[in-house]
Amino acid sequence: MIEIKNVTKQFQNETAIDYKDITFETGKSYMLLGASGCGKSTLLNMIAGILAPTQGSVIIDGVNMTEKSQKEKDKFRIRHVGYIFQDFKLIEDMSVMDNINILRLEGVDTAGASKLLEVLDIADKKNAKVKHLSGGQKQRVAIARALVKSPDIILADEPTGNLNFAIGEQVIKELIHVSEGKTLIAVTHDDRLAQYFDVVVDMNDMTGDRRDLNSKEKEGV
Amino acid sequence: MLGFALKNMAIKKVQIILVVLSIMLSAGIGVLAYNVASQVDDGITQNAGYYSVIVGPSGSQTQLAMNTMYFTDEPLGTIPYSVVTQLQMDGTRVSRVIPFAMADSYNGSDVVGTTAAFLDGKSIASGEMFDDTTTLQVVVGYNVAKINELKVGDTIYTSHSAGGTDTHAQGLTVVGILEQCHSVYDNVVFTQIRTLWAMHDHSEAYDEHGNEEHSEEEHQHTAGTVCAILINTKNPAYAMQLANEYDGMIFNTADGESFTLQAIEPMAVVRDVLNDADNTKYIVFVLCAVILVMNIMIISIITLLNMYHSAKEISLMRLIGVSMKKINLLYIIQNSLVGLVSTLMAFGLSRLCLTFMGDYVASMGVVLNTGKIYSLEFIILGGVFLISVLPTMIWTFFTSRKDSISS
Repeated sequence: MIEIKNVTKQFQNETAIDYKDITFETGKSYMLLGASGCGKSTLLNMIAGILAPTQGSVIIDGVNMTEKSQKEKDKFRIRHVGYIFQDFKLIEDMSVMDNINILRLEGVDTAGASKLLEVLDIADKKNAKVKHLSGGQKQRVAIARALVKSPDIILADEPTGNLNFAIGEQVIKELIHVSEGKTLIAVTHDDRLAQYFDVVVDMNDMTGDRRDLNSKEKEGV
Repeated sequence: MLGFALKNMAIKKVQIILVVLSIMLSAGIGVLAYNVASQVDDGITQNAGYYSVIVGPSGSQTQLAMNTMYFTDEPLGTIPYSVVTQLQMDGTRVSRVIPFAMADSYNGSDVVGTTAAFLDGKSIASGEMFDDTTTLQVVVGYNVAKINELKVGDTIYTSHSAGGTDTHAQGLTVVGILEQCHSVYDNVVFTQIRTLWAMHDHSEAYDEHGNEEHSEEEHQHTAGTVCAILINTKNPAYAMQLANEYDGMIFNTADGESFTLQAIEPMAVVRDVLNDADNTKYIVFVLCAVILVMNIMIISIITLLNMYHSAKEISLMRLIGVSMKKINLLYIIQNSLVGLVSTLMAFGLSRLCLTFMGDYVASMGVVLNTGKIYSLEFIILGGVFLISVLPTMIWTFFTSRKDSISS
């Protein structure tokens, strides 16, 4: 379970985002909707330990991650968090497999990569350089890299942002399928995809009164 | 980690190749310059140290030393053979006395008259050493035989001067061909000292020029004269003694002729020559040092630019959870590999150049040994390796302290 409590994030340009308390339950899929700049990606980065909140706590399974050192947060992220970035964050000149095998630098077992690539229907591209792949294929590689370590938490920032609706829908279906039993939090601007998630959160509302999201299941669908 | 480092290097192969070439060339030139200069220095000194004392006519010390040891320049003149006899009788101090005369040429190669002892330590590739008790035999150097397609048993005709057409009528038989020495010995024809006397003796028995007129210089190698005497003494103190004794000596022959002698210790003369030449060596070293410094700067800048351009990749790895420690280690491994390969290639390049430079340097009487390694070469290569790794270490040190994550 992920609990966001009294979190505020202030940036260097003095923009501040105040978050209402939010709880993400284990095993459920969440879709974060909201206008640009409302703090969706920032929230994902704080859960991943990439950004530290200015105030408040990010509590994961009872452990206050805010109190942990960056080294501990890195360790947690590499072991327990699968992060699918909006711009994929792949090394273009490297092959698909090499991009996944980067995780081996931290001792992550990537033996399941081939099977995962098969599930995602890009097994035939595993030796191809990323720069030769289409946007949809890159997205699948990013998903494979995020999931190969069997993370407990999957964070996806605009996973369909670079794709047309049909491909985006397919990617979301695959993501939901491979994330079964894990906590999935996906940021997207396309409310047509909401039907595939357990919970939809309108982040525009999350900067006001604090509320428990789990009592608002399917809100906004 | 190593496998990933290699893959990461493979995607930047053009940059990596440029860095490797840059380091290889600068370090290779530096190491080569030092090695050649040192080997030439050592080689010339060693050659000079082969004989304790050289006695010859008065004149330039350098000319006497260079003419007898490297067959360069003209002989200073002649001195009577009776000096050789006198020295041979000095059994207390002298262990070996070798007469040396240089006259005539064969198709541009100098002809040296001496005894078989002069070629001690040189191997005969075919045939045998000439016999000191007879005349008109020659042992030819490797290049002389190769260029003139000579074989044992052939007869050659020498002439009075280099490239001259004034050829002696009397032929000389090739009895032996030296193995390749990679030195000036490859370009010389060796014969008995008595052969030279015979060729220049205009008595009835040897008159071979008919009515031709010959200069005084051409006739100076008459029976009983030598250009120099090479001496080995039983200990270094005797060498000094002999040199002092014979230097400036007025030697009177039985028929009333008098000759002023000079005696030199070749090692000392060559050291003086090398000391003069050292200025040139220092200029070469300074130039190499400038090249090295420029390359250090280039290598550092290229390495830092590479790291700067890798910022995106580093940020990517950080985002997926790879620690700064692992990223730093990855780049240190990469640059260490570049440094290692570059320095090894620099070393290989220097050895390759040494092989090609061998024949050129042989003209100075020095055989370059490609296996010869000086400790300073290791220091230069070690320094270059450090230079290639140091900028990365400094860069990683600072980036570790300023992690972009969690800002």
